[in-house]
Amino acid sequence: MNKKKPAAIGLLAVGIAAAVAALYMDITKADNNFRGPLLIIGLTLLIMGIYFFPTRKHRKIINALFLLPLVFTFAVTVLIPFASGIFYSLTDWNGIDYTKFVGFSNYITMFKSMDYLYSLLITVIFTVINMIFVNIFAFSLALLCTSKLKLKGFYQAAYFLPNLIGGIVLGYVWQFIFNKVLTVAIAGSDSMLTDPNLAFVAILIVSTWQYAGYIMMIYVTGLTGVPKDILEASNVDGAGAATTLFKIKMPMIANTFTVCIFLTLVNSFKQFDLNLAITNGAPARVLGDKIIQSTEFLALNIYNTAIGKNKYALGQTKAVVFFVILAIISLTQVSISKKREVEM
Amino acid sequence: MKKKMISALLAALMGATLLAGCGAEGKNTDKSDSVSKGSADAIRIVNGKIEIDKALKAYAKDYEERTGQKVVIESLGGGADIQGTLKSYKASDNMPDLFVIGGRGDFANWKDYVADLGDCKWASETNFAFKGDDGKVVGFPYAVEGYGITYNADILKKAGVDPTSLTNYDAFKNAFETIDAKKDELGLSAVCSVAAESGQMYWSTGNHLFGYYLSGGLKREDNQYFDEMLKGKLDTDRAAQFADFFKLLCDYSDKQVLISGTYDDQLALFAQGKSAFITEGNWIDPSLPDYDATFDCGIAPLAFTKEDMTSVLADSPSWWCAYKDGKNLDAVKAFLDDLALSEEGQKCLITDCGMISPYNNSTIKPEAPLAKSLQAYVDGGNTSSWAWSNMPEGIAQKATGVVFESYAKGDIDKDTFVKTLQSTIADYVAQSQQ
Repeated sequence: MNKKKPAAIGLLAVGIAAAVAALYMDITKADNNFRGPLLIIGLTLLIMGIYFFPTRKHRKIINALFLLPLVFTFAVTVLIPFASGIFYSLTDWNGIDYTKFVGFSNYITMFKSMDYLYSLLITVIFTVINMIFVNIFAFSLALLCTSKLKLKGFYQAAYFLPNLIGGIVLGYVWQFIFNKVLTVAIAGSDSMLTDPNLAFVAILIVSTWQYAGYIMMIYVTGLTGVPKDILEASNVDGAGAATTLFKIKMPMIANTFTVCIFLTLVNSFKQFDLNLAITNGAPARVLGDKIIQSTEFLALNIYNTAIGKNKYALGQTKAVVFFVILAIISLTQVSISKKREVEM
Repeated sequence: MKKKMISALLAALMGATLLAGCGAEGKNTDKSDSVSKGSADAIRIVNGKIEIDKALKAYAKDYEERTGQKVVIESLGGGADIQGTLKSYKASDNMPDLFVIGGRGDFANWKDYVADLGDCKWASETNFAFKGDDGKVVGFPYAVEGYGITYNADILKKAGVDPTSLTNYDAFKNAFETIDAKKDELGLSAVCSVAAESGQMYWSTGNHLFGYYLSGGLKREDNQYFDEMLKGKLDTDRAAQFADFFKLLCDYSDKQVLISGTYDDQLALFAQGKSAFITEGNWIDPSLPDYDATFDCGIAPLAFTKEDMTSVLADSPSWWCAYKDGKNLDAVKAFLDDLALSEEGQKCLITDCGMISPYNNSTIKPEAPLAKSLQAYVDGGNTSSWAWSNMPEGIAQKATGVVFESYAKGDIDKDTFVKTLQSTIADYVAQSQQ
């Protein structure tokens, strides 16, 4: 037992030394092909040292070691990028380098710029309307597909299909429909995409059409999960179709509603591909003495800020705020819906 | 005890495998280091014009056979975010020896990393080199592109309009009226093919057409309107003339193409012989055969002024910069000299890539109709610069494109157009300088 401690400390020391040496070589860009393996060996020794370290918290250490893979992956793919994102939003980063910290000035610029506020506004409007539309359509379709209809399997597949086509392709196809097909079908009319309000409706139509089928699938699963005996019992008690729907089925699948509303809410808010392919911000809207892009949703606005205007730091700032808004909305929504579920 | 030993080893191994992620990164940089070291002579080029990839690679192979210098071409494009890719190369310490920039905006990011190429032979043979803020030559031009208002020469001939007379507003007005009167006879659906929708065509209106306001009719180094623009000011008289001309274009355009058309729609109308004019440049040359276009065509200046304007806007669309810390700068310079001045290099750029050489001494001449037309302007020194490419980044897409669209749709009148254009630009410039 006495020998163990020095051995463990020895392992730790060698491990740390090796790892630090390797990292030092990496930072100073030393030409040494051995520094990769050295790092791995060092870290391996380090972990072994921790494992062999005689302490009463041995079990906890083992638990932590087994969690390491997950924590490590999570850190590399989520935590570190997120933290560096917040960091970059406080600098004048241009995608290559940053020269100085600018504090919160990016945030101030952002909230002062009209295009951002306008994007925020129409994104919120779009999210609300789209969420309602998608859920109403999806639920109606789900009712249709769980009724005693013939060929309902076929309908189900047909409604789901649009969701399998990529958003960009779908967007261009619909752009063609709005620009070429509809203008011929209603002879002499201008394309819907040339009017700010109609272009907004156009995106709404495509978005609903694309997403309703997917949400329908979840509702179908929920509806088929309603126990048959309850339905039969209500039938015996003389409940009609409407009563069954509103008093039995809908309360029974309240958790499905939570999931579906959450999904549509988040997805509508993040709308990007259809927006890019169908309008890319056009058409123009005359607002007083300013003229702005009328259908540039938040995600597209962020993309255009970073890539189009080459303002990476400002784009990153908008992305951080985008995340915060999204987190607040979805957490609030889930907590409200959850409460209602319990009450039911 | 033995069991414990094994489990400890396993746990450590598992952790190590994971952490190999970190290790691998270190290894990767090692690897790329040794690649560029192993073949210390290989020049690596990031080319932003995917269309010329094949021709460039053929030339690179030929160059290696002649000189023993290996050249690696890496082409990006087809909608790729080239500057984004370059930035990630920089971040991973993997910069190519030559990389592409599209103008002032891109250059601002790289100005600390580009090498001075002023002592190269080609630098004195061209008007189109990219100069840094201190006047040093830093960008290698590999092509000239030019635009104005491209006409269908056959239609103009049938209508009795002389394309060389199209050098001012009144000449265009008369020509449009003449052709419009004979529209049915000539089989046209509209006189002009213009697209002003702001989501996809902002570059055509906000960059190209507006470019004529900025430098149309001026000498190459004359930046008076551009400099004023950077202060957020427009010349009222010139802007009004420009607005009149844009309105004239819109009035004689196919309405659907104008307000909702894409580039393809705009091009199709012209290439199928259904319009006499199109507001595009010599880059449509390669697309014309796709529509079996057999007519002859040429480029006229977008002469919006009352006075005569005889020059077209022509410039290098992008440049190659040499990475300052690249290990074989001298080899890079020699390669550029060869590409610009040798016969093989000219053949590659002009014949194989179908471009117009920015170098004065080129003996090989282009064959495509618009390239020929443009070459005549270049040879005659009748070109103005693409000052627009130095505007604040994203200004057409985010700011001016919508103003053009509103005017084209008739939502605003001429005075509002000029006023809004000016205030929009002023706002954008102020914002981008922050």
